[in-house]
Amino acid sequence: MDKVAPLVADILAFIAMPGGCTDSQFDALALRLFAHQYTANAAYRTFCQRRGATVRSAQRWSDIPAVPIDAFKAMELRSEPPSPTERVFMTSGTTRGGETRGRHFHPRLEVYDLSMQRHFAERFMRGAERLPMGILFPGEDLMPNSSLAHYLALAQSRFGSPGSRHFVDANGIDLAGLWQALEAAERSGQPYALLGASYSFVHVLDALREEGRRFRLPAGSRVLDTGGYKGQSRELPLDAFYEALSQALGVPRSECINMYGMTELSTQFYDDGNAVVPSVKSGPHWIRSRLVDPATGRDVPPGERGILVHCDLANYNAVTTILTEDVGEWAEGGGFRLLGRAQGAQAKGCSLAVEEFVRAASA
Amino acid sequence: MSLPGMQPVRAGYLPGIDPAEVAWQVLAFERAGASLQVEVPVLTAAQMAALAARVRQAAALHLRPMPVAQIIDVIDRAIARLLDRAGPWRQRAEALLPAVSGYDAEMVRLGLTGFFKTFRAPQLRRFVAEDFANPLVLDGFQPAAKGGAVRAFGPDLLVHSWAGNVPALALWSFVCGLLVKAGNIGKLPSAEPLFAGWFAQLLAEVHPPLADCFAVVWWKGAGGEDADALYAQADTVLAYGGNDALDAIRRRLPVTTRFLPHGHKLGFGLVSAGALDTLDAPPLARLAAWDVMRYDQQGCYSPHVFYVQRGGAVSPRGFADYLAAELANLHRRFPRRPLPVDEAAAVAHWRQGIEWKALSAAPGAPPGAQLIGAPADAWSVAYADTLGPLAPTALQRTVQVVAVDTLDDVPPVVARHKPFLQTAGVAAAPEELHRLAALLGAAGVTRVSAIGAMSTPEAGWHHDGRFNLLDLVRMVEIEASAETAAEPFARYAD
Repeated sequence: MDKVAPLVADILAFIAMPGGCTDSQFDALALRLFAHQYTANAAYRTFCQRRGATVRSAQRWSDIPAVPIDAFKAMELRSEPPSPTERVFMTSGTTRGGETRGRHFHPRLEVYDLSMQRHFAERFMRGAERLPMGILFPGEDLMPNSSLAHYLALAQSRFGSPGSRHFVDANGIDLAGLWQALEAAERSGQPYALLGASYSFVHVLDALREEGRRFRLPAGSRVLDTGGYKGQSRELPLDAFYEALSQALGVPRSECINMYGMTELSTQFYDDGNAVVPSVKSGPHWIRSRLVDPATGRDVPPGERGILVHCDLANYNAVTTILTEDVGEWAEGGGFRLLGRAQGAQAKGCSLAVEEFVRAASA
Repeated sequence: MSLPGMQPVRAGYLPGIDPAEVAWQVLAFERAGASLQVEVPVLTAAQMAALAARVRQAAALHLRPMPVAQIIDVIDRAIARLLDRAGPWRQRAEALLPAVSGYDAEMVRLGLTGFFKTFRAPQLRRFVAEDFANPLVLDGFQPAAKGGAVRAFGPDLLVHSWAGNVPALALWSFVCGLLVKAGNIGKLPSAEPLFAGWFAQLLAEVHPPLADCFAVVWWKGAGGEDADALYAQADTVLAYGGNDALDAIRRRLPVTTRFLPHGHKLGFGLVSAGALDTLDAPPLARLAAWDVMRYDQQGCYSPHVFYVQRGGAVSPRGFADYLAAELANLHRRFPRRPLPVDEAAAVAHWRQGIEWKALSAAPGAPPGAQLIGAPADAWSVAYADTLGPLAPTALQRTVQVVAVDTLDDVPPVVARHKPFLQTAGVAAAPEELHRLAALLGAAGVTRVSAIGAMSTPEAGWHHDGRFNLLDLVRMVEIEASAETAAEPFARYAD
């Protein structure tokens, strides 16, 4: 604990730093974290050594080997020993069905929380101190292992004005309550913020269409969706989704923000609205990304698509650098476009692919 | 190979439909710098219905009266042109199929020749004889042993939903449909939208009266009203694909339509200690590598796992090393196709899963599988010292070698996945082969082949344990009672 405290303090200071950081500042902290995690986690150390990466050989953040997110399922990726007060965020486990869930251990949440607040304030609040908020997701008490539940609860407690509330509980979405809140917002003329899981928005859109109603939320209102559909609602193409959202709530698509986050990270990415899809996502100064060829782990040539690797300096206990299953491409002028999940071998022949087998085996 | 400035290639075969009245969608294929555009037809429901009616009618008129021997002759002549390497059809296939599939051109060339050879006249006759003791039942009523007479009728309209980036795979079911004299309409797979349409054109060229007896169409995804219009008219639907896709097709068919699904399958091999002396093991590993290499394991018969018995002169680990070396050799001769990012990710995901499982194994627990080869290699062998549950690999030349004390341990493990079993390659002495075949058959395997022949099924094989032709036909009987009852009405009756 004592050994970690100064490191945590430095990370907090790094996140709080105004005006971003230089490349060498990022490298310095990334390599310090790498040394910490490399020393504390034997399995990670072996993984790195097999890739020829040691504390001595890594010179830049991009030299840190990326751990595939499946490793969060296979083992406990942690640098600090378990403690009774730690929070454990688990992956939803719905995308690949039936498997064990990945776990991300947070001995304390101050780093996660600062990372979330600092970037959320900049990208979603954009100068507003507080806004009335509706949350289309269950509260933390119902989903203590959901990083998204914590994220949204934090958004509400830190940035929501009084009267902000959750509209989803164990019984589902409280549509009547939501309609009332949206009506009140329309009457008040004050901007309103609606945040939640993408699939919850699909259910809301379906209900609105069925009832033949729509809202015109006041100017400055905004929407934040995240997480995709995860098989919990019908799949809507991005363009149709944001068009419907904008029509139903009277919020321009440029004010419909999508957050891209992962249980395995402690920092989120946002776009600047979805007038054009797929939107360009970007993160704050304490996270950097690469696009790699999944076979070799090397950067793809400019202009080509690759698998996203993120080095998140707020991930101080697990590993800083993870290999996602998300396909991306660089955008001109910074940031990246998400092009969906690498679904893997969509069996085009007649040979059985892993995905289908796993689904059959878990059925 | 580059195809600079190539015009888009039109796919499909639509007798009686003016191409100008069809909406064409472009499928773009980009492989290693070469690009090819294929235009596939998108028909309206009305066009599809008219096409189905036309094919059904033409088949009744022109195909049904043809003796099977003559149909075999027509197919044989078409296949002869496809085997003629100087001929335009073959040259087109050799130029374009590698471009759409991404497979190595030499691999495609070899694969096509081996594949087409199974559709020559003698093989087709074997094909028919395999299912019909008296093939003449396809041509007319034949005396039945029990009395009376019997004749086999194919469906009026047989609809195929083809899968696949194994080039030319459509040929199997297309030929089956022709041999039972069905009107055939097949839906092209987007991954290889060319061959089936060519074969239809070629048949029409070889024997013009057949020109309207089949059609080759396309639709996007699962299809909409176009697909419904076709399915509504089908007597029988033969479909290849994953179980979800097959289920979706089944649910839109009338209950009276016969549905013949072929789902994705998983092949494996068994190597007995008796086959592992120092002379036999290296060539056996080479044959195993060929089965893995052919079409990068995309076939239903492709091996994912080799179970290798301990106790031979060459150890299971030694066999795995030989296999890895042969895969490395074969990659030089027939390079694996370049993988798009999502397929590369699937391979990496499989490798990393094995690696993390080993890294996270508790002390004293079995160490898990070891990977042979580097992440950037175009092949992977995972060697496991202990027998675990059966699981598919990531394909693209990724294969597991599992050491076992006795091959008898394998059937109970694979039996848990019976619906996915099909081919097992076996290298063992004759007595052991037969003993294992009985156990494997009970476990769900439907085809036991030599290692090296797993990916080249012989003519007349029972695909997925079914009868290729018998499953398509309807037997019509004239019972003895009818024959007897007819006698008094004869003009010459006494």
